[in-house]
Amino acid sequence: MHFAMPPRKTSRPPPYAGRNQSKMAIPPALKNLVRTRARLILGGIVGLFTLLWLLGGTGSSGSSMSASKVGGWKAADIPKVAVGSGPPVVIVTVMNPKADPGWTAKIKSNREDYAKRHGYQTFFPQNDQYPLRNAPPSWSRVPAIRHAMTLHPGSTFFWYLDSTALIMTPAVPIHTHLLSPAKLESFMITNAPVVPPDSVIKTFSNLKGDRIDFVVTQDKDGLAPSSFVIRNGEWAKFFLDSWFDPIYRSYNFQKAESHALEHIVQWHGTILAKLAMVPQNLLNAYASGPASEKDGAFKEGDLVANFPGCDKDERNCAKEQEAYWAILEQAKN
Amino acid sequence: MSRSPSPQPGGWSSPGLNTPYDNGGQTSPFIPNGSSPHNVTWASAQARSAEVKGYPGFTPRSQGFFGKHFRRISTSLPFNHGEKEKLGRGRSQGSKIMQILSRIGRNMWRLRKWLGLIVIGIIGFVIWNVALRRMYNRASWLGGGSKYVVILAANQGGGVMEWKGPREWAIERDSVKNKRKYTKHWGYELEIVDMSTKKRYAHEWRESWEKVDTIRNAMRKYPHAEWFWWLDTNTFIMEPTYSLQKHIFKRLQDVTYRDINIYNPLNITHPLTDEYLDPETRSAVGDGKVDSVNMLIPQDCGGFNLGSFMVRRSVWTDRLLDIWWDPVGYEQKHMEWEHKEQDAFEYMYQNQPWIRPHVAFIQQRQIMSFPPGACGEKGDDPNIHYQERERDFLVNMAGCEWGRDCWAEMYNYRQLSNRLNRSYWEKFKDAISDFFKKKTKKSEKKKEKKN
Repeated sequence: MHFAMPPRKTSRPPPYAGRNQSKMAIPPALKNLVRTRARLILGGIVGLFTLLWLLGGTGSSGSSMSASKVGGWKAADIPKVAVGSGPPVVIVTVMNPKADPGWTAKIKSNREDYAKRHGYQTFFPQNDQYPLRNAPPSWSRVPAIRHAMTLHPGSTFFWYLDSTALIMTPAVPIHTHLLSPAKLESFMITNAPVVPPDSVIKTFSNLKGDRIDFVVTQDKDGLAPSSFVIRNGEWAKFFLDSWFDPIYRSYNFQKAESHALEHIVQWHGTILAKLAMVPQNLLNAYASGPASEKDGAFKEGDLVANFPGCDKDERNCAKEQEAYWAILEQAKN
Repeated sequence: MSRSPSPQPGGWSSPGLNTPYDNGGQTSPFIPNGSSPHNVTWASAQARSAEVKGYPGFTPRSQGFFGKHFRRISTSLPFNHGEKEKLGRGRSQGSKIMQILSRIGRNMWRLRKWLGLIVIGIIGFVIWNVALRRMYNRASWLGGGSKYVVILAANQGGGVMEWKGPREWAIERDSVKNKRKYTKHWGYELEIVDMSTKKRYAHEWRESWEKVDTIRNAMRKYPHAEWFWWLDTNTFIMEPTYSLQKHIFKRLQDVTYRDINIYNPLNITHPLTDEYLDPETRSAVGDGKVDSVNMLIPQDCGGFNLGSFMVRRSVWTDRLLDIWWDPVGYEQKHMEWEHKEQDAFEYMYQNQPWIRPHVAFIQQRQIMSFPPGACGEKGDDPNIHYQERERDFLVNMAGCEWGRDCWAEMYNYRQLSNRLNRSYWEKFKDAISDFFKKKTKKSEKKKEKKN
């Protein structure tokens, strides 16, 4: 027979199959929660893991070390003195303790008078008080300036002046007449060979006056570190320490520290970039000796009269300087 | 009450074919309430009246692209469940697999919002991982990665002095790959330098003293970078997940020492005591401020080690790089200074006081662990040698070219690094394979015992 309709369902439904009883009993409350908030819980878990992974990817913890602990340093208690808060210029002259004490006293008073007039400071160390390691005593000027910087951290300029030189025009304050940026810029000799007559290394031509940390002159033979000015600062420490390197001191430079200076100035750009060469008569005019032919010889009105080498060999500084002392005495009265 | 068209065991009731026999099993010819001969249902009548009234009592749902085309799309899917006019007449049909598939499909459609979120999340993560993370790590105002430059010396001593064999090539390739991956992940700059011996100077001087020139060139090339990290070829970054910022620079005061007396293999007198020096130079730790550190350098058992060190861009560094090589020093000492820059720097540290306040020594294992064979055969000094358990950052196979096998060391450390930095998935896989390996081994052993 053909039926249009499907047969009826059996009136005896099969019994429900028993559920596989899981061993872990989940509390019904939790089960309900899982059932009703399934999406939320799932999303939360996924989100949490994503977050953990992302954070774990960008950050990482430093390893703890079985190595012996180092570190733990803290800011040291070092008084900071602002450069410029002290006297503007400190005059440094290294004295030879074996020299004639009368002359030494006169040299000291020459600088002290000048310093007093303009509110400067003076510093007169002995040439045997620094550890030179058998180097010639003329090297002591380098640690002497460093020493002066330690003693007067607030000063801006440190003027090293050899004991053979005299300050002839004490009325002229050096820090405004030579060392102000504008003055320096107008005076400095640019694009000139550092060592005459034909060194390939020339002073930079695009220097700014306020970037200058080292003012020096050149005599006939080369740089003349018998009178120069250094500006206080980190560069000065670098410059003085590398100039004072034991290698240079033990190296057989013919003229000790002045050849070493010429060497580092020519080989190291960071030093040359801070150097201003000024006409010799502005800072270091020679009354005798190998003055620069153009403007090196002393004439009236120059700040300094230098007698280079008058303390060496058989020479006598006091005698050579007699006429100049007389001029100074005259000016005083 | 109307009979809404609903699937019945017999299928959809279709107009016209509506027979009394249609109401499954009901034998009487009685037509149930309200069902007109034309089979007008309540819903259809309502819809028609809504049309007449002309206001949208009924808005079609199918508006957007998916609404319009969903049916077409879904019918073309394997788990189609919208099409009911087929032979199976609403009964689930096909194999069990099709049933499961269709259930999955239904559920997916039901959870489409959540699925969409997850998909967006995945896409976002991929974009983050591939492109944005690097940008984030690089940007100077976020991760700050562009402030660090890794300088990798390649081809050391090669060039005119030596032919490179396949092993040397392999070492270099591995080393470069390792650093490239690391710098890419963290957004650092990588500068690979050809250190082959070049006769760049007319005289013989300054041969293989290019470290200084190289760092200066890198400083010029990356004018916004702050720290420059020098790395020798024979180094391997074991933990690429450590960033320099977090691993070193954020805890500079904990991982470095400025007073060399803490570890002083060279017996350098420190601090300086000369009275002509200023208090900062005489202080054991300089001024003790973090920002006065311009150079980070590790010490091994033989003194300073320049295989992995860092300098910061500063005027101090400029001066150091300028003064580092000096012809007078070179002339006098080049026979004695076997390690060139390294010995020269040791010398300068001792003799030029301005250097000390700006150098910090970093605990060796933070930046450069040694393998056994360097500074002790056993490799058990916790201050010097690589410790796997503590996940040291970098291995420097220093001196491996003198009697050790550079390539073997590089290979082993690379494998170790890969193993230590597996992803969770890889760890899981490896655990399973290890488990089975153990089982087979055990059974083999049992067999052996039986035999």
